[in-house]
Order: sequence, then C-alpha cells, then structure tokens
Amino acid sequence: MSSPPSSVDRDGTQGRSPVLAALSVSVLTVLFAGLWLTLVGPTDPGSWIIGVPAVIAAVWARQRLAPAPGRGLSLLGALRFLPVFLIESFKGGIDVARRVLGTRLRVEPGLLTYRLSLDSRAARVFFVDLVSLLPGTLSADLQGDTLVVHALDCRVDAAPELLRLERHVARVFRERLPEQGAPTP
Amino acid sequence: MVALHWLAAALILAGLLFFVAGTVGLLRLPDALSRLHALTKADNLGLFLVALGLLVANPEPFFALKLLLIWLLVMAAAATGAHLIAKRAVRGDGEDAP
Repeated sequence: MSSPPSSVDRDGTQGRSPVLAALSVSVLTVLFAGLWLTLVGPTDPGSWIIGVPAVIAAVWARQRLAPAPGRGLSLLGALRFLPVFLIESFKGGIDVARRVLGTRLRVEPGLLTYRLSLDSRAARVFFVDLVSLLPGTLSADLQGDTLVVHALDCRVDAAPELLRLERHVARVFRERLPEQGAPTP
Repeated sequence: MVALHWLAAALILAGLLFFVAGTVGLLRLPDALSRLHALTKADNLGLFLVALGLLVANPEPFFALKLLLIWLLVMAAAATGAHLIAKRAVRGDGEDAP
C-alpha cells in the first residue's frame, strides 16, 4: 500500500472528545439508516433484517476509515465540476462504445504514470475514482505520489486531461496545486 | 404526457445500448485492464441514461433521490472495484498471476 503523507492523520477520530465521538456515531447511524430507507422504501419493515447489519457495518467502516478533517468542500468548486463531469462521462461512454462496436477494435492499450499533486487522502481517492470514469483512462495503481494510469489508446496524450481534472478536484477540496504541476515525463 | 413516455423510453433504450456496448467490450477487448474500461465507462453512462429515463417516466422527488443515490453508489463501487482489480493486474499478484 502507499504510505500516506505525514500531513495526513490516519486516525480521523484521534483527539476528539468522547462526547463528540458518541454524537458522531449517533448522527452517522441516523444518516446511514436514512440512506437505507431511501433505497428500500418505508413500506417493507422486513428489509431491516438486512438493513440493521448494513447500517452497523457502514457506521463501523466510516469510523475506521474516516479521513482526517481537511479544509472542507467547496460548493462552488463542486457546482463548477458537475457539468464537466457529466459531459466527460458522456464522452467516456461513447468513446468506449465506438471503439468496441466497430468491425475492427480500435485500441492501443498502454500504461503511463502521472505524478499526483493532491494532498489529502479524500481528494486522492476521489481523483483516482474519477480517472476511471472519464474518457480513455483507468487508474491502475497508486504508489506514493505516482499514479499508474492505463490508457485505452496510448497514442493520445492523457496528461493534459489528467492535469485539468486534478485542478477541478483541487478546487472542490479547497487545495492549492503547485503552479507548474508538471506530469512525470 | 405521451411525449414524455416516448422520451423516457428513448432514454432507457439508449442506456441499454451502452450496457450492450459495455458487455461487447468485455468480450472483445484483449486484456483485463482494457476490459475494465468498458465496464466502468459504458455502464456508468448506461446507468445514468436508464435512471434519467425512469425519472422522466415517474417524476417524484423521493424517487429522484433514490435514483440519484443508486447512481452515485454504483459509480463509486464500479470505479473503486475497477481500481482494485487493475492494481492486482498491474502488480501481477492476484489470482491470475502467471
């Protein structure tokens, strides 16, 4: 596994008062129960046979994996990113469909590396998942700051797109990227 | 009303086409990493279109929230799962390791 940067606290609950921790457990339980209720609907009480263990597991996992408190999220950044994400999702889906539905497969798979500038774990996980949802790229491995990206067509240079995406993610997570976020050659 | 139903049908049908494309990709692409592309991207768009079509057919706020949740959860699961499979494939230490 990648070693987290020293600025990222692995245990997000550390240093919080017990009252706050207990409160967050009850708030989380209500939240996840609401999530379950939204998914299965309120008409079937029997669904709680699965729902209760699922909610408990979700609260436990969230407490175990809670990211260190970061700078919070930027609503404006998220709103600016949403249309970009939708458009890129469309391009990604159409691109793959066109490549595989033709009589000849038009792919030239290859690996490339990309140096991540994002700092917080939450932003990194978000970015790693996004890379896989957007056109032509799939995040294959993350070792330290180096993201190994699989490209469906390595004749197209993916680095500028990744840089643009990383800037969007940085805005959503209120992070500052270095001015010249140079991708690894 | 009728126009909306046709719109819903068209959206769902378009979504299903992307699921078909994703499946064709899964069968035709040469290696595990390339196949993951088809699964994450084509299916994500397919699900978005199907969810949008269902919302047009049944425009209720609670139902919309449910569809939004399903879409977000499936996307997060697909992208994270794809990353984990890809990581094993790149490092060559998974079950399929030669």
